[in-house]
Amino acid sequence: MANRVQIPTNNSALIAMIADEDTVTGFLLAGVGNVDLRRNTNYLIVDSKTTVKAIEDAFKEFTTREDIAIVLISQYVANMIRFLVDSYNKAVPAILEIPSKDHPYDPAHDSVLSRVRYLFSSESVSSGRR
Amino acid sequence: MGTTAAAETEGRGEAVGEEDGAILQLLDSLDGYISLMGSLSSSLRQGWLELSSARHSMGNSRISSTLFDMKPHSSATTVDLTVSTGESPSHDADQAMQPHFSLLKWGSRGDEKSPSVEVDGKTPSQASSCSGRTSCGLLLLKTDDSDEGGISATIYPAVAADNQVRKKRSKALSMFGALVPPKLRVAQGSFETSLEAIIEIANTRSTILSALGRLQTVDLRS
Repeated sequence: MANRVQIPTNNSALIAMIADEDTVTGFLLAGVGNVDLRRNTNYLIVDSKTTVKAIEDAFKEFTTREDIAIVLISQYVANMIRFLVDSYNKAVPAILEIPSKDHPYDPAHDSVLSRVRYLFSSESVSSGRR
Repeated sequence: MGTTAAAETEGRGEAVGEEDGAILQLLDSLDGYISLMGSLSSSLRQGWLELSSARHSMGNSRISSTLFDMKPHSSATTVDLTVSTGESPSHDADQAMQPHFSLLKWGSRGDEKSPSVEVDGKTPSQASSCSGRTSCGLLLLKTDDSDEGGISATIYPAVAADNQVRKKRSKALSMFGALVPPKLRVAQGSFETSLEAIIEIANTRSTILSALGRLQTVDLRS
């Protein structure tokens, strides 16, 4: 434990959301909504008209903002930008894939669980070679 | 020659032990992660159902994204973030960080189930057995400077704190009107519960990533 250093950030950070309207509405009711002076919000509502580019831009923006600690993204939306989500490997902000009304959570697509599967599959390959 | 071989064997043994520890931690965290996702799905489903009921009673146009408050305002519910460096060095600096998230629901800690004492200049063990921040009151114990060692207690009813939380809750609801159906309030509660699960999931995720980082480090060394 000698290496463990606590770094209190002393920051109240935000929770960002990229999800459908009902999910965003619910979390706004829970007090998560933030609008800055430039009218930038910490959420993107995804509907049938939302383009993949808009989702990608929102994901990149939320993952680079320093005031955001957690990014909630509906798993079906994450599937649209799977390459971006899977290649994200920072500890903060944490990317959490959540279910949506019409798309239940599927562990097979979760990026964290995929990373574990990849590690074990590469381990079993390397142990087989030994 | 013999000592070199012994040292090598010892080193290998340590690496195996470290790997086993990391694997156990990883498997435990994975189990927790999947259970928490199940809880989250359940509370979200509840919330969506209640939201749909509220929309049914108020009308579709009364609960929609067009009514969201777009005036500049800061979030009432935020996340407190503490970052610790990992136990073992990792080849990736980001993997070495293990963040810990805590929810500040409506500006206060949501995980304060049992009260805790705030004592001026005294450790909690030296203070009264009663603990501090409760829903009924905030108890501050101060010791006198005199040798008599008398303790004066000042009680600040946290009715004021509860009122603040109530006001913030009402403000969040008010974007859909002054009078909202009970189902919308219940939906608000369900999504607050979901937030608690989300914070736990975030912490479990950081444990998983930390364990993965340790495993990769052990793998590289061997």
